[in-house]
Amino acid sequence: MEWVNPYHLQVASFLLINVILGVSIYVTLSTGQLSLGNAGFMCIGAYTTALLATRYGLPIPAGIVLGSLLAGAAGVLVGIPSLRLSGVYLAIATLGFGEVIRAVAINWESLTGGAVGVAAIPQMGRVLLARARDIGFSPGSVGLRPNQFISLSVFLILLVLTALVVAFFLRLARSRVGRAYTAIKLDERAAEAAGIPVTYYKVLAFSQGAMVSGLAGALYAHSTSFVSPSDFTYHRAVEILVFAVFGGSGHLLGPVFGATFLTLVPEALRAISHYRYILYGVLLVLTMIFRPQGVIDPPLLRLFRRARPGAAA
Amino acid sequence: MNGLLFLEGIGKDFGGLTALSDISFSVSPGEILGVIGPNGAGKTTLFNVITALFPPTAGRVVFDGETISGLAPHAITRRGISRTFQNIRLFPAMTVEENVMVGRHCRTGAGVWRGVLRTREQREEERKIRARTLELLALVGLSGADPGQAAESLPYGFQRRLEIARALAAEPRLLLLDEPVAGMNEAETQEVFRLIQQVRSLGVTILLIEHDMSLVMKACDRLVVFNFGRKIAEGPPAAIQNDPGVIEAYLGAAEEHRDA
Repeated sequence: MEWVNPYHLQVASFLLINVILGVSIYVTLSTGQLSLGNAGFMCIGAYTTALLATRYGLPIPAGIVLGSLLAGAAGVLVGIPSLRLSGVYLAIATLGFGEVIRAVAINWESLTGGAVGVAAIPQMGRVLLARARDIGFSPGSVGLRPNQFISLSVFLILLVLTALVVAFFLRLARSRVGRAYTAIKLDERAAEAAGIPVTYYKVLAFSQGAMVSGLAGALYAHSTSFVSPSDFTYHRAVEILVFAVFGGSGHLLGPVFGATFLTLVPEALRAISHYRYILYGVLLVLTMIFRPQGVIDPPLLRLFRRARPGAAA
Repeated sequence: MNGLLFLEGIGKDFGGLTALSDISFSVSPGEILGVIGPNGAGKTTLFNVITALFPPTAGRVVFDGETISGLAPHAITRRGISRTFQNIRLFPAMTVEENVMVGRHCRTGAGVWRGVLRTREQREEERKIRARTLELLALVGLSGADPGQAAESLPYGFQRRLEIARALAAEPRLLLLDEPVAGMNEAETQEVFRLIQQVRSLGVTILLIEHDMSLVMKACDRLVVFNFGRKIAEGPPAAIQNDPGVIEAYLGAAEEHRDA
């Protein structure tokens, strides 16, 4: 089982977390609201489960659920006043929110440990390995070294969860609620005249985006076993934005592609990974010049469907 | 006064500008009531007040015996008032079919979980939405168009009809049409005239803003005439045609043609 390379699996795991973050910005964007607060919601999700696990020994799945829910609730609180804002004003306000959350994480030292962060968070793979050993399973029996088992199980857990999140929102997009989201994005006034409760759906989408960010944060905490405020700076917010801008925001698969591509390319070009942000800048400028709607857009997807008849589910 | 829709002393100010003042009239069930008047007379503002796109500064709107001013736009649509817009407001990137399906929103109920889990109930509801959508597309004369094409790729006249189909999808009892034949040629206007008749025969009451006088005279049972945000006349088309006040509003001195 030499092909199971823990390093590659770790990169793949971060890739999956980025895909979930890409989904999170898309969900809010699908109602026409640009939120740059997703790093903040991610921070809430990560710290919630990290603190509950390290201080109260809460099981990981419960912590992940609570972290996501708390981020979603914060999304409702931020989403309601944000209804008064749109476009760039909303983007700035949510960016500010993200920085406020990070400032709280730095300064509320008694709760969060301050700038040092939270260490020794139970790591999903290690916990799973310990449980497996309790019931008499040894990774050696399937030809895996313990560290291979750990990386592989983290990757598989994230793969399943990412697939579920993507499937959830793909299905949602093709339902009554998804049509309402698109209608609101395209023309808010026409949508309300057509009978859509715009306020409800905007807050719902905002909160769903926040919840998905929270989930990504919680998963991140249990994958790395260490979080600190510097994981959730505005660089992260911009990174998430770039997934959507580069990949395309007209369809869920756009940010998914953006997150995948922009995680893999710097890895493939290890030599220049220090210049990641330069690469981001160049890509952004090139995208805006040559393909302002992003790489993936609905007409491109229709083209693929036509090329492979029967592929459209 | 009883009627399907009753407007009582409606006024609307935008800052210092009075767009509507003291508008009262009622719409009887089953009638086609035309709202006419020169540009800037406040006709579209009236539609916007009825559908709560903005609230009136005075007066109230009573629909089917209940005051509806103060409700949110979607709640008013749910009660049974749908509209079209003077400048067509479709969802351009959505398909023809989806535009009408959006109109079914307030008559259907599948939420997030049912939509994601695709329950039997949800699939049945989607099937009904599609079936009704195809019926409505046929009703407005769009059965020849590809329901899967983007709404923005439809010819102009078809877009107007698609907007009517979307409005009808919400099962209105009162339909507000804001210049449905603007920019259309004679033949297209005739087809919309027939469509209006057909919609009325389905039991839908219609409030019609239109500048095409031959259509208005032919289609409407009664007319309400606006000028400078006031109602200046009300009555059957033949009487309105000969009303001196109305003639002055349309043909009067040049300075009265300022945008109000």
